[in-house]
Amino acid sequence: MTMQKEQILTSEEIEILQELMNIAFGQSAADLAEVIDTQVVLSVPFIKLMQVADLPEYFKNHVKDYKNINLVEQKFWGRFKGDALLVFSSGAGKELITLLKHDEEVSLESDPVDILERETLMEVGNILIGACVGKIAELLQDVVTYTPPMVAVEKGYQEAISGGRYDPECTAIVLKTDFCFEEGDVTGFLFLVTSNDSGTWLREALKLFIEQYE
Amino acid sequence: MILNQFFDALNLGVLILDRDLKVYKWNRWMEIHSGISAAKIHNTPIFEVFPGLNTPKFNRSCKSVFKFGNLCFFSQKLHHYLFPFKSTAYSGHEFEFMQQSCAMGPLRNDNNEVEYLYIYIQDVTEVAVYEQKLVELNMKDGLTGVYNRRFLEKKLKEEVERHRRYTGDFSVVLFDIDHFKRVNDDYGHQCGDFILKSVSSRIDSIIRNVDYLARYGGEEFCCLLPQTPLKFAAKVAERFRVVIMDQEHNYDNKIINVRISLGVSALQSDITTADEMIKRADEALYRAKDGGRNRVETI
Repeated sequence: MTMQKEQILTSEEIEILQELMNIAFGQSAADLAEVIDTQVVLSVPFIKLMQVADLPEYFKNHVKDYKNINLVEQKFWGRFKGDALLVFSSGAGKELITLLKHDEEVSLESDPVDILERETLMEVGNILIGACVGKIAELLQDVVTYTPPMVAVEKGYQEAISGGRYDPECTAIVLKTDFCFEEGDVTGFLFLVTSNDSGTWLREALKLFIEQYE
Repeated sequence: MILNQFFDALNLGVLILDRDLKVYKWNRWMEIHSGISAAKIHNTPIFEVFPGLNTPKFNRSCKSVFKFGNLCFFSQKLHHYLFPFKSTAYSGHEFEFMQQSCAMGPLRNDNNEVEYLYIYIQDVTEVAVYEQKLVELNMKDGLTGVYNRRFLEKKLKEEVERHRRYTGDFSVVLFDIDHFKRVNDDYGHQCGDFILKSVSSRIDSIIRNVDYLARYGGEEFCCLLPQTPLKFAAKVAERFRVVIMDQEHNYDNKIINVRISLGVSALQSDITTADEMIKRADEALYRAKDGGRNRVETI
């Protein structure tokens, strides 16, 4: 396992990636404030290499305090390629509806609150993922496109995150950040899982990135 | 040239806006449904022609496309439509405008900067009509057209929850057609069905918009009365009784009269759940039956 870790990124490269993400998230927060009119506080990102088979357990350890979770998942495609999983705390959907003033825009008929919740999570998830992933890609001179987001609303952890979604043979670069909204009681985690396919390119890109500072 | 033909051949609305949200492209589908030619709308700010689009959600979506290169979606379920176009789907539905499922995304120039955004519009009116019918089928009783028991149980729980949270009065009336078996035996089951429809539609016509009438089972019905104290619910029940007693059912040139017995219950300190409410209304209904029928009993 140690061997594989070394094959993907060295500890120095991880450090550069960490630094790059600090810059990216700093800029994302400013962009996010402009788009959704509220401050999102993104923590210093944490990077870890791990076997894909260990991912479910890793996710579980992070979200175990949540009663239910809301999950937005989006694949991103570029030379930087992978899967973004955004996990919101229980009740986040309803908080975000108020935060985005969706309830004033949309007339609520008989039963659309869950649809509204779903769409709001999708929208905010889409924006957060776009801001973070897009910024990292931009700093690495890459452009990514996204698949439409998939949403799981108020599910138990087991229901929302299944073990079989990734190839267990792969090594994943997991980038984790926790975020909270300045207003409203919304917290969560963003996990970016990129497989070793992106590894070679990522190493090159990181090298180029750090060269501008040398 | 070839792409333009494809663009116009699509059975989808496609438009492209520049960073000032002026129209750059407008395909034939958009020309047909909007009645505005591509030449005429070219370079016009989209909000000038469709001021209804100027909402926080739309603006936020445009910003996120230009800023992050995101995809954005406008589902029919929530937004119904972005562009108020007349529906071309078959008539007989209640949608005033074409129901649309729309998405928005980035278009980049050679320098990879997002220069334009595209919007595509899919006409989903027919799907929405089917869905609406399915939703209705799922909540309504096939014979009488009033709500079914599944819907009643869901609504009852919601209302109990809501009234507990915001406090307020909430009552239910449970009623049953007296000697209904005799109607079936004397006039046949088709006549029985006719009576069920006739009684439920009469009651349905005199309740408020906020009340729910549901078929509870067989010849038993339940009416939910939000924001109504027990005292008034008893009056409503009495009105039901009189209205049905006075109603004449003309089946196959025979005039038939039926009566109903009613039990009323309400949320109160010792009745705090949906199950308890129904149980107590049912007990009251039994007392009404035991007490000679064609009468109202409250808890």
